Amino acid sequence: MEIVANNIKEYCFSINDLNITIEDLEELAPMGDMIEMYRDFLNSEIQKLSSVKSIKGGYVFVEAQEAEKGKIRTNNITFDTGKLITAYLKRSSHYVFFICTAGNEVSSRSKELMNAGELVEGYFLDTLGSVMVEKAMDQIQNELNAELKKIGLSNTNRYSPGYCDWDVAEQSKLFSLFPQQFAGVTINESCLMHPVKSVSGIMGIGTDVKYNDHVCIECNSTNCIYRDKKKH
Amino acid sequence: MEELLEKIAACVDTGKIDAKSPYPPTMKGQDGADELTKQALDAGVSPADILEKGLMVGMEIVGNKFRENKVFVPQVLMSAKAMGAGMEHLKPFFASGAAERKGTFILGTVEGDLHDIGKNLVSMMVEGNGYEVIDLGTDVKAEDFIATAEKNPGSVIGLSALLTTTMGNMEKIVKTIKEKDSNIKVCIGGAPVNQEFCEKIGADSFNADPQGVVEYLNALAS
Repeated sequence: MEIVANNIKEYCFSINDLNITIEDLEELAPMGDMIEMYRDFLNSEIQKLSSVKSIKGGYVFVEAQEAEKGKIRTNNITFDTGKLITAYLKRSSHYVFFICTAGNEVSSRSKELMNAGELVEGYFLDTLGSVMVEKAMDQIQNELNAELKKIGLSNTNRYSPGYCDWDVAEQSKLFSLFPQQFAGVTINESCLMHPVKSVSGIMGIGTDVKYNDHVCIECNSTNCIYRDKKKH
Repeated sequence: MEELLEKIAACVDTGKIDAKSPYPPTMKGQDGADELTKQALDAGVSPADILEKGLMVGMEIVGNKFRENKVFVPQVLMSAKAMGAGMEHLKPFFASGAAERKGTFILGTVEGDLHDIGKNLVSMMVEGNGYEVIDLGTDVKAEDFIATAEKNPGSVIGLSALLTTTMGNMEKIVKTIKEKDSNIKVCIGGAPVNQEFCEKIGADSFNADPQGVVEYLNALAS
């Protein structure tokens, strides 16, 4: 872990640090009767990615200002987070904004397989990329949680632009809180992140905030791959 | 003859590509869609019959299973691959005009959205059901859909979005297409989209799964 500035931390992971199992992929994207057939393939692909150094992420820790009427404010920037997310963040004394990426290699490999007509293998690599970025972010969050716990603070769920009425265009404001190309992630004119397998978002921090198990029921993305999954 | 077509359908349904393919384990060593399609052509079955009574039947079965959560994305992809293996033998007949496609479907994920797994599934399923598919990829602007539709008269446009917030772009794209030519049919799909939203933005059809898109296109083509 590297402390970029007083309130910014950056982490770099190897895929081996993430302890990914085929069951992690199965939880995110069920494979049915193919799980055993592709176990060796996936382990071999994970091994091929072991030298990748672009799995990165981190966060900026900032003081919370107002949170009302579907908006939150910090560092004199107003985020239109929408009514739902704002309600979950309302009691926060601080916010943690995060960016995390699985790097470009896993997506390139997925595309390579898809283009070669290896559709199933390409799909599994795409899912692997999603698992990588979530597990990397889980590790960052776990470390943060441990530090917060020591000083009697807790955190909310992670919420991201693009979900629950928080417009993806707001990602440019979120990125403005970080140094340029933080963790190697950039956004394009449509505010989409590169590498593709990247996440960004916010967590609320405070003495009176809580992690919510059942926020999916509030969201209208009924086919979302993360819906009702244990961790996200 | 009928038996051969049933076998082809079963291979597509179960994702049995060819004789050396290990999936599904229960069909190990048996001929797959690849060999059986060739055998059907050699036996004098018309390319149109192989497509409509063999390959497409298999895709329809797997599409319905997917709708009912009886199979998952990898199984559908395997079926698409089996379908593709059979289609390789039929391509020359389609290219020569000896067999016809049912129509053209222009597909893309809307501007501001890079998600493509759902779109790709729709693409494979629609192609597997006898349509030509022009896949414009992800982050596609209204102008690109319109330009492609103009080059392919009578085609239908399909828009996909996964993010709740790119639904706004979907609305904008539907409006732009309809302003340009109200006769162009536009169907929509994706995780945050529903029938109510479809009606609100003036799209012609909402489908919750790939098989629904096929059924919509079939209804238009009939």
